Amino acid sequence: MTNLRTRYRRSALSAAAVGALTLLAGCAKDAPQDTFQPAGENAREINNLQRPPFMIAGVVLVIVIGVVFLCVIKFRDRGQVIPKQTHGKPALEIALTIIPALILIGIGIPTVKTLFDLAKTSDTQCVVNVTGQQWWWEYDYPVQPGCLPGGITQPIVTANQMVIPAGQHVLLRITSRDVIHSFWIPKLNGKRDAVPGRVHTLRMQADQPGMYLGQCTEFCGLSHAYMRMEAVALDAPGFSAWVTNQLAAYTPPPAGTPAADGEAVFLANCSRCHQVNGIAGSDGKPVIARPDLWVYSGATPNLTNLMTRTTFAGASFDLLTPDCRAKLVDAKSADFTALYLKGVEANCLDAVQLREWLRNPPGKKPMYTDATKLGPTNGKTRGMPNLGLSENQIDQIIAYLAERK
Amino acid sequence: MFTTGSKLFIGASALALAGTLIYSATQDSGAIGTLGLASATIVLVFLMGINFWVRDSNVSSMDTPGIVACSAAHPAPGRSMWPMVAGLGSALVPVGLIVGKAITWIAVIVLMIATVEWMVQSWSERASSDAAYNAGIRKRILHPMELPVLGAIGLGMMIFSFSRIMLHLPSAAGAIVFGGIAATVLLFGALIAAKRQVGRSLVATLCAIGAVGLIGAGVASAVAGGRHIAKHELAQRTDSVDNCTGNESEADSHSSRAIAGKANLAGLIVLQGDKLYAEVIGINGRQDTLTLPRSTDSFFEFKNLDSGKHRLVADLGHEVVDPGTDKERKVPLILCTQAVGEGGKQFIVIKPPRPTSADQQYFFEVPGIDSKLKIEVP
Repeated sequence: MTNLRTRYRRSALSAAAVGALTLLAGCAKDAPQDTFQPAGENAREINNLQRPPFMIAGVVLVIVIGVVFLCVIKFRDRGQVIPKQTHGKPALEIALTIIPALILIGIGIPTVKTLFDLAKTSDTQCVVNVTGQQWWWEYDYPVQPGCLPGGITQPIVTANQMVIPAGQHVLLRITSRDVIHSFWIPKLNGKRDAVPGRVHTLRMQADQPGMYLGQCTEFCGLSHAYMRMEAVALDAPGFSAWVTNQLAAYTPPPAGTPAADGEAVFLANCSRCHQVNGIAGSDGKPVIARPDLWVYSGATPNLTNLMTRTTFAGASFDLLTPDCRAKLVDAKSADFTALYLKGVEANCLDAVQLREWLRNPPGKKPMYTDATKLGPTNGKTRGMPNLGLSENQIDQIIAYLAERK
Repeated sequence: MFTTGSKLFIGASALALAGTLIYSATQDSGAIGTLGLASATIVLVFLMGINFWVRDSNVSSMDTPGIVACSAAHPAPGRSMWPMVAGLGSALVPVGLIVGKAITWIAVIVLMIATVEWMVQSWSERASSDAAYNAGIRKRILHPMELPVLGAIGLGMMIFSFSRIMLHLPSAAGAIVFGGIAATVLLFGALIAAKRQVGRSLVATLCAIGAVGLIGAGVASAVAGGRHIAKHELAQRTDSVDNCTGNESEADSHSSRAIAGKANLAGLIVLQGDKLYAEVIGINGRQDTLTLPRSTDSFFEFKNLDSGKHRLVADLGHEVVDPGTDKERKVPLILCTQAVGEGGKQFIVIKPPRPTSADQQYFFEVPGIDSKLKIEVP
């Protein structure tokens, strides 16, 4: 009997502990993907919409649970005479139909208004094309009169980190190259599916400069969990500087340096898939990557300015050391832009992560690169295969890439 | 001495024998008739012999266990259609072997079904002396198989009939006819629900009339064939603008493309007053440059607001065919829509394989019009 009581007490304590932990988890202040901590007007609209129903639902839950417990305790079987049974109580039934209907109408009206507000495109100030593929995101900035005072005159393409001007109404035009993905930066807006052949729009606006994290939310294959995204909001001058830097002409590494050797290794091993704008072959002609011949999605991340962003491989791994990363993410809004525009400095480069990746990409992030299993994709890989680079080649490539900013 | 059954077979055998003799003696039309009658005689004599042997399955009154075990002591087997179905299946097998595999497979399936049904029915009829119990155990075994199959067949016939009728009727009439059918069903349902005492036979009769009418109309529509459905050409690929052909009065109605195009266009391309421009979501005004992602399908609607027939052409440079082989070569990558008159529209899907560069420029253009839309692929 005592054993049984002890067991019940332990079970109750365990259940209470799990419940308390679950409840406390909702109080986390530094949760990077929290819809209850909006950082832009679209996310704020969603938050304003979701709070009242949550509260109403909470009240309803308390009432229902309370009534259930009251009935269970007060009317439990104590051997008393069964009371007279009745059937139907029209007034109560009508009230219990009308009250939920009124609650639903009360929720429905602001919901529809919010849906229309979130679908608006007429106040767009800047457009970014977002293209998902297994397992990373590409962002390209079309030629347009917006984003900057003079507009964007040449297209820009980047990957993994989407840079946007803070305070501006940015419109994302989202699509996919292979399977369905879903784009979600919880602090800036709701999610939107990326569907091959279709262009879906999503408003995005960040109040302050900073870094906002997200995650693909539509299961898209082996490395779905490694398909992350980061929106980086910069102040207006900072965004202008970022655009100028992205469009700057290619600077080849000085001859005789490890970076120059790395350029040769890159041309021999990487350039058939990865584009570095302006890089030229030994014949002096520009080298244009052809990922469509080797990769199922037909695209790979453009590495022209790799070190201006701080992550790689679907924003899954950092180019920054943990200390430098923490410094950037925790920076105050006023300091963030300047810190981000420094890019990955030599003292902050986490070469270990990059080296591990270059040594064996599918070993670091699961991808479909086994040559014997590529029949369904006509011999094309989904992800980066192991190129069999030597340690010396890896060092040279890292030296070369470290200058790409 | 002679049992009743034996007397019948003796008479029939004698009659057949007499017929055979008379026919063979009097008719010169060949041996087939004689052969047939002789066969009948042999069969009847054989049956007569068996009946002599079993003596009408009569049991001696002295044979007490035999009285209980004899066939006459058991209820007669019920009527069964499965021998007939099995015969049909058997007959279809050789037909299928000559005509085609499909009939053979149908015959085999029919034979298998008939065999199983016949076996279970025969077994259940001997399970006990209680006919109701026997029928019950047959149902318990076979209904889990029969009901889903019959339901699927019924549903299939309904779907088939509806689809044939809908394909046969003009599209506008289809909405009216099926609206009317739905209203009739609703009306009868409401009447039956409102009337408290409705005979099951009346409801069954109404349902049967409806089913027969539906299947009859479906078969008649299938025989008459579907209505004419206009097909519109998709954008075509060619190696030269001069080879673009085809005129259409309407947009491509290839459903999947049309739905994608209408719902989520990458942009609208308009020809107006000898000028080609684009309208895209999020960027205000008319654009003379479009930025598109590489290796991605981008859907565009082309609208001709100019007089005369025009087509939109996408010049995407060259494409490498058979890369890495001896046959590797570059072929022009040009896509063109059908030509449409003023106010007409077409859909086009492009997927630029390479980014644009100094020596690789992409354009949208309209033959005969000196205006181009630049395509930038970063």
